[in-house]
Amino acid sequence: MKWPQGAAAAAAVLTATGLFAAVRAPAAQTPALSPPATAPAPSGDIMRGGDLFALHCASCHGAVGQGSGDGISLRGVGAAAVDFALSTGRMPLANPHQPMVRRASTWTRRDIDDISAFVTWLAPGGPPVPTVDPASGDIARGQKLFAANCAPCHGTAGQGAAVGEGADAPDLYEATPVEIAEAVRIGPDPMPRFDSTTISPDDLNSLVRYVVSLRTPVDRGGFNMGHVGPVAEGFVAWIAGLGAIVVIIRLIGTTT
Amino acid sequence: MIRRLVLWLDDRLGAASFARRALRKAFPDHWAFMLGEVALYSYILLVLTGVFLTFFYTASGEDVVYQGSYAPLRGVRMSAAYASVLRISFEVRSGLVMRQIHHWAALVFVAAIVAHAMRVFFTGAFRRPRELNWLIGTSLVLLAMAAGFTGYSMPDDLLSGTGIRIAYSVLLSIPVVGTWAAYLFFGGEFPAPVTIGRLLALHIMLLQGLILAALGLHLAIIWHQKHTQFRAPGRTEDTVTGSPLWPNYAMKSAGLGLAVFAVLSALGGLVQINPVWLYGPYDPTTVTSPAQPDWYIGWLEGALRLFPNWEIRAFGHAVPEPFFPGVLVPGFLVAVYALWPFIEQRVTGDREVHHLLDRARDAPRRSAVGVATLTFVVLLTIAGSNDVLARFFGVTVESITILLRGVVLAAPVVAGWATYTVCRELKAREAHPAPMWHEVHRGPGGGYVTTEEHGE
Amino acid sequence: MDRRPRGDRRDHPSDRNHHVIGTERRIAALFILSILGSLALVAVYATGGQPQLEGVLLAVSLGTLGAAVIVWALRLLPDEQVTDVREPEPSPPAVRAAATSALERGEAELTGRRTLGRLLLGALAALALVMFFPIRSLGPRPGRSMFHTEWEPDAFVVDRTGRRVRAGDLVTGSVVTAFPEGHVGSPVSQTLLIRVEPALLRLPPDRAAWAPEGYVAFSKVCTHAGCPVGLYRAAAHQLLCPCHQSTFDVLRGAVPIFGPTTRALPQLPLRIDADGFLRATGDFSAPVGPGFWELSRGRTSGRQDLRPG
Repeated sequence: MKWPQGAAAAAAVLTATGLFAAVRAPAAQTPALSPPATAPAPSGDIMRGGDLFALHCASCHGAVGQGSGDGISLRGVGAAAVDFALSTGRMPLANPHQPMVRRASTWTRRDIDDISAFVTWLAPGGPPVPTVDPASGDIARGQKLFAANCAPCHGTAGQGAAVGEGADAPDLYEATPVEIAEAVRIGPDPMPRFDSTTISPDDLNSLVRYVVSLRTPVDRGGFNMGHVGPVAEGFVAWIAGLGAIVVIIRLIGTTT
Repeated sequence: MIRRLVLWLDDRLGAASFARRALRKAFPDHWAFMLGEVALYSYILLVLTGVFLTFFYTASGEDVVYQGSYAPLRGVRMSAAYASVLRISFEVRSGLVMRQIHHWAALVFVAAIVAHAMRVFFTGAFRRPRELNWLIGTSLVLLAMAAGFTGYSMPDDLLSGTGIRIAYSVLLSIPVVGTWAAYLFFGGEFPAPVTIGRLLALHIMLLQGLILAALGLHLAIIWHQKHTQFRAPGRTEDTVTGSPLWPNYAMKSAGLGLAVFAVLSALGGLVQINPVWLYGPYDPTTVTSPAQPDWYIGWLEGALRLFPNWEIRAFGHAVPEPFFPGVLVPGFLVAVYALWPFIEQRVTGDREVHHLLDRARDAPRRSAVGVATLTFVVLLTIAGSNDVLARFFGVTVESITILLRGVVLAAPVVAGWATYTVCRELKAREAHPAPMWHEVHRGPGGGYVTTEEHGE
Repeated sequence: MDRRPRGDRRDHPSDRNHHVIGTERRIAALFILSILGSLALVAVYATGGQPQLEGVLLAVSLGTLGAAVIVWALRLLPDEQVTDVREPEPSPPAVRAAATSALERGEAELTGRRTLGRLLLGALAALALVMFFPIRSLGPRPGRSMFHTEWEPDAFVVDRTGRRVRAGDLVTGSVVTAFPEGHVGSPVSQTLLIRVEPALLRLPPDRAAWAPEGYVAFSKVCTHAGCPVGLYRAAAHQLLCPCHQSTFDVLRGAVPIFGPTTRALPQLPLRIDADGFLRATGDFSAPVGPGFWELSRGRTSGRQDLRPG
């Protein structure tokens, strides 16, 4: 099936407007914020995206993204969700019951933009790809936001943790600033999501800046053992600590 | 020069007669007898590094705004205690290595005590006349754990503060007196501002005073009663043989002390421990994952995680859940542990004096109970890190928890029975050694017949 | 460490054998290494210090010194064994008799004058009782604070920055930590504000009105041991406490579905006012946090009634 080019262009513009309307929230008692940073209108080739979608996604997500027993509905899921799933390699899944975890992504940027354009054309809505500027963020504010919202699942050092029922909050060391921001806005399963009234764009910049800084934590004390904490420390105390000492006392003492 | 010192002391204290016997006192050399010393030297290092830390630590829960050199927390509100630990870690010269040596020494201190206690248990060294020293030893292991818990809670970071919250809740769960116990001990409803100051008073003063007193008694009794020793040809219940205190044993012991200090220093510099700046200051409205205590509290944590959600009522009240895994079960274990010498005397009827040690196989029932209890406590400790293990092995937290609930009850029984059987078997083999080889030849009916057995 | 035959200890060159000289050299080398390590440590410290170097150099100085002392003790000292005779612990009967009769002299005095003896015990007991009273000074009496939080009818729901939450602020699948206005950061009033699809809710009938537009609010303090229930699996609508893995089903009112706790997270009744702000209509449905003895009866010694919610 082919879609007329003009209709595709019109749909793209409409989608962009529609996304704006959906995302922008009324300002409450905070001082007037500048509107959320303008997300670039999906610039992909909808027709090429449609071909890619039909080839790689439709078998689980349905021909028009309506969902099936093997995959959720993608209607109104938004450009951020598509971009996140594809650029982190979470999609495609060989087996629909596999957990969605980061994998090496085989998509090119062009592929992602095209599929994204197609999916958002199918049904507008959902968060756009956020624009982040970590450099303008405040790292101490980011630490507070992280401790309050993210550390319970991802750990204070961003090392990740099990969150029950087989779900996993992954470590945050490979996520790019855009990926971090996307995850915050879309809440990929099992994560909750935080839109721009909960975490404003300025706060998001601070949060992303802090998360990126976790890649190079201050490990002034030496070997960090993956930041697992007291469990690892206990193993080391017994095996390297007491273990080494037992070797020494066996050398000093007798065995009778 | 030393001779002149001894004579100077003798003029004033009559020290020479003591020195004459003391310096030639026999100290058995078996390596397993040095575990207690390892604990002692770890403790000495704890005191030395601890005194240093005391000069820089602020025991106050008052809010301050951090303006120190660790950038990610600059401008953040935190307790003065937490800020002082940040200062120790980043601004006080050699502060971080002192902190880390102190914490590693604490972990190894309790580990050495546990290893030492296991040696004493499995060799039956607690038997008459050493029951009193066993009780003192029990108090030492409990005091050491309490000192460790209060110690790592002093930085008031997010991880240890969560542990304090749990401790408060466990106190609260005690029937009848729980609310009073919690309010009095912590100074009010959690979080009370005075709690941090109390941790300091406990950790550097009350607990250390008790530990030093108990330790002094413990060593004095060993000195007076003389050390036990393993059976060997020529050894009797009436004598003890070993290296003389001076110079042999003193030098070996001093060398061991230095070696212990060296291992702990290496750990203190090379392996990061308790990086409180990464945990952030304690905030009662947030938490981090994973959340574990230091290893020696792990068994209590595991008990709290494993205990099923049974609503148990008594006298018209619902008994709060943490009471059973947090107070009752540990209390029972500690009671049996403390009273073990008397329990064993009652069960075996053996009230004789023993200075020669058993091997594990010589007391199958004792060894079985010991292995079973150890298995139970180790499995509880493992359960305390069920989420870390689940992530590591790629299984769900729930499945590990449910599995461990069953295993923690079944495995000790199996392990105890297996130990008993192995001990009996080993003893039987010794009594009747199996022949090394048999001589066989074909009999008239075609089968094989043993004609001779040859021992070793 | 095997014990090679030790040589003569006398410092007489013609009597020394190779083993002793070799061992002495090794020990000397260890001492020198230790000194070098200590000097290096001083240098590191003087130039500002560095944790890894400090630890390693300390280990080198101490370790080589310890090794030197141990090698000296094991290889150079004569491998002497001494034997002590164990005296039986109980003292000879004559001594025991003398000790017990010395004790008895004092005992006779006390038991002889019975009234005075009893009064002495009484006075000591009374004093001991008095000595315990300062323990009462350690903390306040547990009272109403166990049963109430700072939530009151018509209190505004605010986020961590103190900003009042409006009905449009959260999207479904979102969770924030909320407080009553004026009590941001309160440990006892901390609340989880979650927005779900209204059609999915399965609250008890008497709480149907507590969740306007899919907003539900629960105490964040775990009913097991008091940790903040900080983990939310949004798609499954389940809250998880990281301390002991108590898991709560949000849609049915945060009832426990796994883990050691037996009680649901208390729920906060909400309404949306005319201006679109979220407000509480009362305190939580039950006292928050871990259980305590008086919880089932409704009063501590502070004699305050359980507040209806």
